Amino acid sequence: MTGTAAASDTPEVRITGCSVYLPEPFPVPARGPLAGVLARLAGQPAPPPEEAHLVLGRKGLLYKEPATRMALCAVHRALGLPEGKKPAAPLPGGAGTAVVASSNLGNVETVGDIVGHVRSGRLRDVSALAGPNASSNIVASTVAIRFGFTAPNLMVCSGATGGLDAVRLGSLLLRTGRASRVVVVGTEPADEVASRLNATGPNGAALRAGAACLVLETEGSGVRLGAFRRSPEAVPVGVGTGLALGQGLTGPDVDPLPELGDTYGASGVVYAALAAMSLTDPEGPDTALVACGDEEDGYALLELRRQREEALAGSGAR
Amino acid sequence: MTAAITGSGMRTCLGDSAQTVKALLAGESGIGPIRYYGPGTNVTHGYHIREDTDEERLLRCSGWLAECVAEAVRHAGVDPAVQRVTALVGTGLRELRSVERWAHDGAPLRRHQTHFAAAVREALNGAPVEVVTVSNACAASGHMLALGQDLLDLGEADAVVVAGCDSMSESMLAMIGLVTAEPTTALRPFETTRTGVLLGEGAAAVVLEPADRAQGRTEALVRGVGLSCDAYHETAPDVDGIVRAMTDAHTRAGVSPDQIGLVLAHGTGTALNDPTESTALRRVFGEDGPGPLVTGIKGATGHTSGGAALMSVLVAAEALRTGQAPPVVGLDEAIPEAGSLRLVRGGPQPVDTALAQINAFGFGGVNAVTVIEVTR
Repeated sequence: MTGTAAASDTPEVRITGCSVYLPEPFPVPARGPLAGVLARLAGQPAPPPEEAHLVLGRKGLLYKEPATRMALCAVHRALGLPEGKKPAAPLPGGAGTAVVASSNLGNVETVGDIVGHVRSGRLRDVSALAGPNASSNIVASTVAIRFGFTAPNLMVCSGATGGLDAVRLGSLLLRTGRASRVVVVGTEPADEVASRLNATGPNGAALRAGAACLVLETEGSGVRLGAFRRSPEAVPVGVGTGLALGQGLTGPDVDPLPELGDTYGASGVVYAALAAMSLTDPEGPDTALVACGDEEDGYALLELRRQREEALAGSGAR
Repeated sequence: MTAAITGSGMRTCLGDSAQTVKALLAGESGIGPIRYYGPGTNVTHGYHIREDTDEERLLRCSGWLAECVAEAVRHAGVDPAVQRVTALVGTGLRELRSVERWAHDGAPLRRHQTHFAAAVREALNGAPVEVVTVSNACAASGHMLALGQDLLDLGEADAVVVAGCDSMSESMLAMIGLVTAEPTTALRPFETTRTGVLLGEGAAAVVLEPADRAQGRTEALVRGVGLSCDAYHETAPDVDGIVRAMTDAHTRAGVSPDQIGLVLAHGTGTALNDPTESTALRRVFGEDGPGPLVTGIKGATGHTSGGAALMSVLVAAEALRTGQAPPVVGLDEAIPEAGSLRLVRGGPQPVDTALAQINAFGFGGVNAVTVIEVTR
């Protein structure tokens, strides 16, 4: 049994902005479907979380965890805001903007650290300003507060499918009129506690710190979201995660996992953003299939289609 | 579109659904000394689920959730092997307690056990249902009710299991202990002498189906759920944000405030929540008419975080069905901000209405307000 999402009488959802934020260096392949996109990405450095002020501006970052800082950077860039300057909140359109974040490991180090203080009788050494980080929805709420986004706010923590689950819920918020714009952001840190917990997962890849963001709207132009599916099993080609670019897609044929590492709850958003960048490249393909998941959590798949297909086929219909 | 609750299950410190409602009507509280957590947290009391062992079992939260999901699906008669069933689990603290024990006590844990897909699938005999865990603090299960209704509205599921669950985490207890001078000994919603929040634990689950396909099986109707985010402050609630969620709920439910006869308040007994919630309720329901009866469960159950909204929904449904609203346990003298609010205190009060509103507000300013209907 798989869940399928493709309602016909609701507006189409488009990706009107996106970003991928990977602070650590990654290999850029000389050829292959993602070579161009990854080369472009490598050309725009992502400062590490402790230097997030270079992207975000200085204010409001005290006691923010690396996962939260990277999420803020990804959102900042996806919205095309000027680097190094904190925007005045609320941003234009903030009242209709929802946030759907995905992260599983963002606060596990903080939680472990607080317990360490409790066990050694040093609770008073913990700053009350770190307290909010004990709540798992800190990423989603921090994004809302920083940018002034007052539509619904969701924090997905559903494991390896979380990134595309977040995209799916974001699409739902748009199609039911709960928001006019949704910022979907996936983020994971790679601290010692998070890396150790991640290593208990089934895929064996090292955890990579990173974030990615998709801005979803029903108005404007951009890559269109197609059908979403959840499946308990890996997709037919036998590669569980990644993305496929081109026609006649059955399953992912580019698996960034070995090269990029595991971004776990962020991976669905990372792969969707990489696919969206490919689909906006004039030389790029027209369709993409994005998959994330693992054998324990199951898999999530999302189809994406580029804008020019509509310009060719549908100009008279709308 | 109205959705029907066709099955439900609940576990609180007071027992299962029937035991919880009975204890609430009797004005009982599940408060007791804190277990499992050392004195280092500066929290001495809590509302624990009664268990027949002194040992802290592994994955307690997942266990209660699984029991409630199995019970709700059994009541509803839904077959996840045949129907398109999605499960949405709302939680505040996930299995972070298990992460703490893994990190500090060497307890076993795998990364997928921080969320609840395996627990839900196990409860459904391994049916490979889609499970999404959403960590939306103390309003989590209210948010899941909204999304569940949305999935049915768009025809993307035949039935949605909506659940909420939490166990206490040592880190959250510590952060509560850190900001309290003297440990609180009871959670007293809307009470002038209140001293702050205490945690509860437990789970609740319902099955939602389109109302037109649930005739004869309907426990209650979910008329609408309003959502908003304050985007204002991490820990301080905001009247405007809360009012927006209430107004959104009424609009989606197609009701006006004067039709609502009962409110299950969020009521956490904190310095900030109770006055803010009181002000928002008075703004929405006005000062002219008698207004709805207002009650809340957290004085008896503690703050059950992820499950709190859904537990209040089930208690409200039973109150509408029986015509008896349970009192706010621990309330003697109401805060001045409550003003004209008709808070239920001392004992149960008769309530003759078909519509109830359930408030849930969470850390980070996430608000979910539900309107349900039960016709006697």
